[in-house]
Amino acid sequence: MRHWKTIRNILLLLAATSATPAYYAWPYVANGVVDFERIDDHFKYGSIGSEPANGIPYWIWKALPELFADKLPGKGYASLGFIQEEGQDRPVGFSNRRVLIDRVSLNCGVCHTGSVRETAGAAPRIIAGMPANTMDLAGYTRFLMDCAKDERFTVDQMMEAIEKVGGKLGFIDRLIYRYAAIPQTKTELLARAPRLKFLDRQPDWGPGRVDTFNPYKALQFNFPMDKLPDEEIIGTVDLPSIWQQRQREGMQLHWDGDNSSVEERNKSAALGAGVTPATIDLPRIKRIEDWLLDVTPPAYPFPIDPALAAQGEPVYRESCANCHGESGRKLTGMYVGKVVPVAEIGTDRHRLDSYTYELLENQNTLYAGYPWRFKQFRKTNGYANMPLDGLWLRAPYLHNGSVPTLRDLLNAPENRPKAFYRGNDVLDRENMGFVSTVSELDGRRFFRFDTSLPGNSSAGHTYGITLKPAEKNALIEFLKTF
Amino acid sequence: MKKTKSFWKRLVLIVVVLVVVIGVVGWWHLFRKVPVTFASDVDHFKYGSIGMEDTGGMPYWLWLVLPRIFPEKLPGPGGYTSLGIVWEEGQEMPVGFTKTTIGFPRVGVNCAACHTTSVRTTPTDKPELILGGPAHHFDIQGYQRFLIACAKDPNFTADRIMKELQYVYNFSLFEKALYRYVIIPFTKRGLLEQDKQFAWMNLRPDWGPGRTDMNPFKLMVLKLEDDRSVGNTDMMAIWNERKHEGFLRHTDGLDPMLIEASISAALATGATPKTVNVPAVERVNNWLLDLPSPKYPFPVDAKLAAAGKLIFDRDCATCHAFGSARVGKLIPLAEIGTDPNRANHWTKQAAEEFNRQMDEYSWGFDHFQGSTGGYVALALDGVWARAPYLHNGSVPTLQDLLTPPESRPKTFYRGNDVYDPIGVGFVTSAPSRGGRDFSKFDTALPGNSNAGHTTGTALPPKDKASLIEYLKTF
Repeated sequence: MRHWKTIRNILLLLAATSATPAYYAWPYVANGVVDFERIDDHFKYGSIGSEPANGIPYWIWKALPELFADKLPGKGYASLGFIQEEGQDRPVGFSNRRVLIDRVSLNCGVCHTGSVRETAGAAPRIIAGMPANTMDLAGYTRFLMDCAKDERFTVDQMMEAIEKVGGKLGFIDRLIYRYAAIPQTKTELLARAPRLKFLDRQPDWGPGRVDTFNPYKALQFNFPMDKLPDEEIIGTVDLPSIWQQRQREGMQLHWDGDNSSVEERNKSAALGAGVTPATIDLPRIKRIEDWLLDVTPPAYPFPIDPALAAQGEPVYRESCANCHGESGRKLTGMYVGKVVPVAEIGTDRHRLDSYTYELLENQNTLYAGYPWRFKQFRKTNGYANMPLDGLWLRAPYLHNGSVPTLRDLLNAPENRPKAFYRGNDVLDRENMGFVSTVSELDGRRFFRFDTSLPGNSSAGHTYGITLKPAEKNALIEFLKTF
Repeated sequence: MKKTKSFWKRLVLIVVVLVVVIGVVGWWHLFRKVPVTFASDVDHFKYGSIGMEDTGGMPYWLWLVLPRIFPEKLPGPGGYTSLGIVWEEGQEMPVGFTKTTIGFPRVGVNCAACHTTSVRTTPTDKPELILGGPAHHFDIQGYQRFLIACAKDPNFTADRIMKELQYVYNFSLFEKALYRYVIIPFTKRGLLEQDKQFAWMNLRPDWGPGRTDMNPFKLMVLKLEDDRSVGNTDMMAIWNERKHEGFLRHTDGLDPMLIEASISAALATGATPKTVNVPAVERVNNWLLDLPSPKYPFPVDAKLAAAGKLIFDRDCATCHAFGSARVGKLIPLAEIGTDPNRANHWTKQAAEEFNRQMDEYSWGFDHFQGSTGGYVALALDGVWARAPYLHNGSVPTLQDLLTPPESRPKTFYRGNDVYDPIGVGFVTSAPSRGGRDFSKFDTALPGNSNAGHTTGTALPPKDKASLIEYLKTF
């Protein structure tokens, strides 16, 4: 009996003495993630599991624009075109998850949330599911690499900058940042930099564009990129919209139609945002996937002339519907979601050639060990016909975003703009697209897109260019209903 | 006294239980075999084990990440594909590579690794696979050397490898410990051991893609003294085996029995006489009996081919037509005049030792012969897919073969699977594709001579063209 008492006392003593450390250690052990009640908040700010492998410690991420303000085009991350909503801690597309400490990384929203303004002076409207049209992803990547290479990236200067941006680190956090987070972040960014050196072989992406598969070769498989030939080193494309996925199941997805499974395509895109097969947060991605199945794009915000649109409908049925679908809500059509050989469509072939059979072979090993290991990637010989839902939000057009407006697309390639500006979110009502002729607005400089650079050609897709001007007007009016 | 006794009793009991538990757990995670069977013969050929993984298998996860950790040790971008290894769309393993669990998942190779031909029309096309054809693009020696080079690298450490593995799969703590403390160090040791065993290779010309040698048997299985001989020879087509009944096997005619040739080939993949899965090999053999040779995938001029048939019947058929007098038999070196190295490297001593040492196994070897002094006149079924030509793969195309030896290409590149329908063979002019360096074949090196087989070289150009056209129909 006495023994039991002794044991009990010892246990009590142990419990008492460990309570204090446990109390302090708990936040670091209890890794976790903030959940959002509203689905669009979850989409824009929620985590998909990219932080453990690719997250940047929260306070470093906060301090970078302060410490390296000279490396940004303007103030903060918003100057790279990321969308900063009022009252939000981070721009759209930046998630936060605690992995020992809070870490910031990317989610689906970063590439698939856009900003629209009806006029230059109007407030922006943030639309989830549309292509990101203002943010410069390569610019962000370069910024991080440049910071890591800078001699100011030291523990002391970083700690100082963190304090400046309001970081009140506790004792333990201070230790973690000083002895682990800061040096590790620098090391990891520096280790990544050589893998991404191939970016220097590509014309700038500019806002709203991404190279899907070359970073994949470099980051997932560590291909020696310097050995890749020029023909496959440029794969820069426009970001796509992601509404109405249910109707897209079975279509050839991605611009070159290399995968027909929505689920696999999503898991592939998640890798692009920084998840790994081991860290992907499937339940939270599932929540987004379920929502995307049937979510529809918002309606065109200006009045549509019903008579003119009615005239445009038969033109569309005649010239476009087989490849681009019945309407903006009914995406069916004989050739919708099917690949047209590049020789026939005639658009820039760089993106097609950037996706190689050799890459496909390696993709077969992604998510190895899980039932969802990639099985559906295929090499095609052209570009897939896209449904046109929410078309008014998807300018510039063609897979490489080389044609600024719908009216330009209906012109013969030689008459399309040779150069124009991307990144402006003000709608071009006249031509359907975004304003692409001004280089600057309210101090924001836009990106000059040069169609003569490799990968940027605005050739091809010559359908509709011989329509009469009145027919073109009518067709554009009808497409506003999508 | 009593207390001590029970204490010892208990201790013994604890030790026994511990040993049993550790034994069972250890056996389960290191040696437990989970058989994988494929319903179709084709899948069995492409992905089924023939019994080399016990001793020659690579731990799957390690195998998976090595190209990502050591890409600079490969001939180019693309991971294993840069060695000419081919994956089918959606397949977890490349063709000719197996994944089986012996305690833990292991990767091995099988017959298909060396006997599947990849062909494409343009460099960016999806490759088409021809089962049973020679893997002219696969550098099996390069694969071996890659694994060894990884093991020799100072970065081949548990820390570095585990860092790569942590994001590939969510391993349990136990699996992580197993990899860190057992699998990685033991694999490293095994590969370094292989480095020593394969040292003789470095004293000889490279095999390059699509070639192999019998010296591994001589030096590593039979443990004979190194005679510095070069036995490099092209991988062979293995379709239509029923029609090849009674043919001498191997380019230099080492054995008349299909089953002996097959089992010896299985041993060449790394299976040991004890582990080789004979029923699995027999299943492949049965399937090969009637596996047809592939049809030429480009247009054939029927009229021209008909004219070519007359020339073939006159000048080639005696040696190369099924059912002819000399097909499947040895042609002496003095007559054929091709590179002599291979014909003499497998000595009488090697053959006798092979027959003797394998005698104790149920399948045994009785028919291996040595120093044959010649090469087998092969039937030409699917000959279009069997380039480069001659036993040592020293002549790139049929057109080159019909050219006098002194005018045949002195050097060319092997490994490209893009087809050349003009010369009839594979494109050999490009030193690289997609950043992958091909292997330069130098006919001046020992074993690589492109001399001999001058039949047809004196034909008028018109006849050569029609003969080549006819050969496309084989």
